Amino acid sequence: MSHIHLPDGVIPPAWWILGFVLCFALLWLFTGRIKGDELRRKIPFAGVIAALMLIFMSVPLGFLPVHLSLAVLCGILAGPGLSFIAIFVVNTILALMGHGGFTAIGINTLLMGGEAIAGYYLFKILSGRLSCTFSAILSNITALLLSTALMLILVASTAGLSEVLPFHDHGQNHGEEVHFAESKQEEELPENYDEHKAAEAEGVKFLSITGWSAVIMIILSGIFIESLLTGLIVNFFSKVRPDFLDIVHPT
Amino acid sequence: MHIAAVDHMANNGDSFLHHALPFTKVIMSFLFLAALIFSNQIHKAVFLLVIPVAFILLSGVNAREIFHLALYSIVFSLLFALIQLQQSWTAAVMVMIKALGAALNMLLLIATTPYTDIFAVFSHVLPGVIIDLFIFTYRSLFILIDKLEDMVKSVRLRGGLHPMRLLFNLKNAAGALGVMTIHAFDMSERLYRIYSLRGYNGKIPITREWGPLRWVDILLLLFSLIVLTGVLIPWKI
Repeated sequence: MSHIHLPDGVIPPAWWILGFVLCFALLWLFTGRIKGDELRRKIPFAGVIAALMLIFMSVPLGFLPVHLSLAVLCGILAGPGLSFIAIFVVNTILALMGHGGFTAIGINTLLMGGEAIAGYYLFKILSGRLSCTFSAILSNITALLLSTALMLILVASTAGLSEVLPFHDHGQNHGEEVHFAESKQEEELPENYDEHKAAEAEGVKFLSITGWSAVIMIILSGIFIESLLTGLIVNFFSKVRPDFLDIVHPT
Repeated sequence: MHIAAVDHMANNGDSFLHHALPFTKVIMSFLFLAALIFSNQIHKAVFLLVIPVAFILLSGVNAREIFHLALYSIVFSLLFALIQLQQSWTAAVMVMIKALGAALNMLLLIATTPYTDIFAVFSHVLPGVIIDLFIFTYRSLFILIDKLEDMVKSVRLRGGLHPMRLLFNLKNAAGALGVMTIHAFDMSERLYRIYSLRGYNGKIPITREWGPLRWVDILLLLFSLIVLTGVLIPWKI
């Protein structure tokens, strides 16, 4: 859900190169841990997890212009290392499909992988105290909010923080505004002009969910739906195949 | 799922691009991508947008499908374009052109080159484990898509989806995705057994086609190099 996939040409080269370096360092670390017989078992498993993620992403959320990723669920099922590797594969295949930039694969993987890793550890901590469903929902919400915040910080730092803020206004426009205000005062008001009613009319917001508030609403709705779905799927596993959740609390 | 359609185009096409070496096409795509990323003038970016469009039309792939997929890049770049719009409209347009051009480049590559050939080229720079993972993902994807289609059909037939009941739909969708995950896990176990029997030890052998370079390869590489150079040089005419 967090991956409003960053397209090519948005992030300066220094950032995406750094993203690739960090991503490959983590990939090297995680792949280095898998050896021997584990390799034969875990690579097909990670491949299936990646394929599942691609399929989850094709599930539309009705009227909302976002789609599922279920990265946290994959983190819970496959563990932090394998899910990170699977997410790299998913992002590369998506980039080849024009879904997110090729140069942004590193950063997109770090963002989504971070979501899976954070989700896994949060679920591990919470599921010891709360029910599986509730833990999955809470860890999903927290991980998604974290990765969305990270993405916004990244975009803010590349575009300039002031450009990203919703109510930002440029210095160049201030002059225009002052000029406009002066000219407004100079304008002759009609005879039946009522200052009180005019002030009341200015206070009315006909479309309050527009612009940035609409973007935030869409993101929050997406997070809510994805978290609920993750919780319901984990609930399903806890009833049908509780062994799937063993990776979090190995016996 | 569009992956199947794109795969069909790549494997059944018969154009000059389909006949070019995978290595040539990957290098060409990356050179165009570099040119697009480093272009800072709108007319150059538009020119770089026209090139993949022309190649898509010349290669005889399903242009409608490709352009449909490319539209996603515009949707994703919209947020960033809006941010840039506060600086200037040209900056916003540049963001959208770059995103669209890059997406078209990548789509041109996968619509004219089978995935396995692309992975073979990537195997020169990526570890074998990751390449195996690409192959397993790709293989599993098509099997799971078939299962998903069957499952959606049966959920619909049993009245499991209702347009106005969000929670009811979510609950059923969660069950369906859960069953799907169980299928996927069983499949990974089967894959493990099959590949263990075949002696898999962490590296699936893949064929890498390197050459010999044909005229079409030389021309494509030359053209992409000229384009990159032309974009990087600040022309003053």
